[in-house]
Amino acid sequence: MINDEKRCVITGLGMLCAIGNSVDECWKNAVEGKSGIEHTTAVDTKDCYADYAGEVKCPDLDTPENAGVDRVTKLCIRATEEAMRDAGLKGFNGDGKAAVIMGSCVGGAVSIDSYYKDGKKDKNTVLQMPISSIASQVARKVGAGGVVTNVANACAAGTISIAYAVDIIRAGKADVVIAGGSDAFSSVPYAGFISLHALSDKPCSPFNHSVGLNLGEGSAALVVESMAHAKARGAHIYCEVLGSGITSDAHHITAPRPDGEGQMKAISRAMAAAGISESDINYVNAHGTGTAKNDQAEFLSLHTIFDDKNPDLSVSSTKSMTGHCLGAAGAIEAVFAVKALTENIVPPTVGYTPEDIEALKEKAGKIDFTPNAARKKQLSAVMSNSFAFGGNNASIIFGEKTKEVKKVGAKDVHITGIGAVTPLGNGVDKYVEVAKADGRVTADTLRSAISTADYDALGLKMAFYRKLDRFSQLQSVSGMQALADGGYTVTDDNAFDIGIIVGTSTGAVDPACDFEVMLAERGNAFGSAFKFPNTVYNAAGGYLSICSGVKGYNVTVTNGVQSGIFALGYAVEVIRNGDAAAMLACGTDASSDVMDELVEKVELKADKIVKPYKGKDKKFTLSDGSVTLLVESGNSAKTRGAKKYCKVSGFGSATHGVSLDTIDGSGEALDRAISIALKDAGLTANDIDGIIGFGNGHVEIDKTEIESYKRVFGARLEAVPVISVKERLGEGRAASAALSAAHGALILSGKIETEKSAYKIGKKTEKTEVKCGALTKLLVTSYGLGGGYSAVVLEKE
Amino acid sequence: MDELKIKQGLKDFFCNNLGIEADQLEYDTPLFSDGIGLDSIDSLEIISYVDGEYGVSMTGVGKDHFYNIDAIAAYIVANS
Repeated sequence: MINDEKRCVITGLGMLCAIGNSVDECWKNAVEGKSGIEHTTAVDTKDCYADYAGEVKCPDLDTPENAGVDRVTKLCIRATEEAMRDAGLKGFNGDGKAAVIMGSCVGGAVSIDSYYKDGKKDKNTVLQMPISSIASQVARKVGAGGVVTNVANACAAGTISIAYAVDIIRAGKADVVIAGGSDAFSSVPYAGFISLHALSDKPCSPFNHSVGLNLGEGSAALVVESMAHAKARGAHIYCEVLGSGITSDAHHITAPRPDGEGQMKAISRAMAAAGISESDINYVNAHGTGTAKNDQAEFLSLHTIFDDKNPDLSVSSTKSMTGHCLGAAGAIEAVFAVKALTENIVPPTVGYTPEDIEALKEKAGKIDFTPNAARKKQLSAVMSNSFAFGGNNASIIFGEKTKEVKKVGAKDVHITGIGAVTPLGNGVDKYVEVAKADGRVTADTLRSAISTADYDALGLKMAFYRKLDRFSQLQSVSGMQALADGGYTVTDDNAFDIGIIVGTSTGAVDPACDFEVMLAERGNAFGSAFKFPNTVYNAAGGYLSICSGVKGYNVTVTNGVQSGIFALGYAVEVIRNGDAAAMLACGTDASSDVMDELVEKVELKADKIVKPYKGKDKKFTLSDGSVTLLVESGNSAKTRGAKKYCKVSGFGSATHGVSLDTIDGSGEALDRAISIALKDAGLTANDIDGIIGFGNGHVEIDKTEIESYKRVFGARLEAVPVISVKERLGEGRAASAALSAAHGALILSGKIETEKSAYKIGKKTEKTEVKCGALTKLLVTSYGLGGGYSAVVLEKE
Repeated sequence: MDELKIKQGLKDFFCNNLGIEADQLEYDTPLFSDGIGLDSIDSLEIISYVDGEYGVSMTGVGKDHFYNIDAIAAYIVANS
């Protein structure tokens, strides 16, 4: 029988959206079929053909205490507080096994709006822009000390957050997770969907008229915990999370595959993970946006999977009442699914006339799309589906009792390919050359560049790459390089066995700013359909899926600079779980003039080259890039006869929440992240013979790092050199974090024999030269502003 | 209306706004083929550009009129 540590239960719910400011209010209105979609008052609709939206009307959302916090985080904190109360939790007091995972699509888009339209060009407004600020502020509020991250997979983000929460609980990395999603209605998504002609000029009508969607806003939070943890504290249990499935389409950046292949694979994976069959699912909360392409693909998927196997399936789209809440949608719909399951009521899809109901009969077949009126029905397993921009598909199943499903996960995971786009050149061979020559960036060479020759070498055609912005360019090239370096050919047979995790610090903040500038100049009616898809963080992972053909697991995570090695740790866990045989683990951040301006605003951008561990500066040298690691199970590498750079044997992440512009005062969390990674690898600090560190010249960041190593390694630290990739290439954020792991892999595989960019930490910190041949076990660390840390252990083969 | 000027304007728009490399785009190059690879998102941008620049609505217009720059320019001339 499955043990209580592996069973994941829902013990608390919180939400607010267009149909209510609490779970009870939203659920009551959903069951009564009351729509919250009205003419918008929040954005300028001049010349726009559609103006309906589902907005939150919460009179006490803004308080004196939360002044300056972006609306997206205000929504999220409110949902979280309700879920915590509901679960009987007061706060976590720094508990290292309490985690926060929040999904979002547009993050602080309201702050981006006020930066450009209201001229609020202050430091705090900038700090509120990135998605990473959401979970960081929520975690600080509730005192979560464990994994804190955001899932940035657009409209599937909320569903993936809950799926990932279950994975980290089952991996023993968390006992309790606040998982959910949040998005606030704002100009960028509104004008973007206007430009795509994807909005309906009437209240939307999913599975009915299918002429477009209405945007909504809101947030939902679910308390997910292990059964053991819930029982120990006597918590009320709503239901269990039985399983989930995540795939990518490798098709188009905004449109779903017309054949529904990726959607169906996500659904069938969720059922397989839950150990249940089609006939066991009683209700599906559909993605159901109401666009023609979505509804056609989703009709096809649902009919293909369920028609012959389930004679009594209920489906509904609660988006017909809430609007499409983007990154919050999956979380809000998960709450509706859980309420449906526990109350035995299927909420309706609203907006059908008698003629519509007649027309629906033919399209619906045996499936009950629950038009207009809720239906009482005994439910024992319910599914919630989300299908996003970027071709990301996610399906999750809630039910009464988890079955034990034997999954064959990998025991050992290896780095078998490296792709590197850096300011000093592209490709792993070029990087090794730079490292051997001890090359350095200068003030004129801080940005990576992609040339036509890079695309040609990887077989990427102009018809594809013309659509990419810088972020996606860097990511597509480093990702394809990693596959090429690893000799990994994606085929029809293995496409679903390989996935992608992209880690990014600021993601699409600057393309969203560019889009906002366009709107400020031209008005919301005149956004660019060509540029809008690049304002979502998961566009880069979506494009990599399209150009590589990778169709498996696909997630974009964002929790600061550490995202680059967090992505590696996440990818390793996906392989250990048996959800993929191979993964592309990526760290990518792109600079631009806008990004330079924003980092200057938060007073972190140095106007000269700053060296790590030297310093008195409170700034760093901002650079960019993209590094992708191909990681795969020992079996997969062996079957392919792949070369192995090194083994990835441990991953840990921990948080001590501090304000968004610093890590000062949070260093103990780095100690814990290292300790978790070492334990995961079955090692102690005494086994480590080298560190690839994260110091970037900012005195507080460097000091926090070094002080932690002194506590963890004691007097032995003098014999453990700290190697810096940032001394060569600057603070490339998530790219530097991933590069640190790549650098470790190159040392352990013997490609880099001598390291001059290294420091000996004794009474003083001194430069040293390291003969790398003796190094066998390396620790790689990174940080995120706001007080988050990740650590990975690499071992020589 | 100078049809050649319209064609040059369209080409500039494609290169500056839709990421197409100038040396790969002639007035008779098929736009929705594998080479250039325009898709439904790009057609929205073309419609928006033609409407804004020439006051000609191409919403709902058949695919043939989007075949290449020549075809779009001919449609603009015929309908303005």
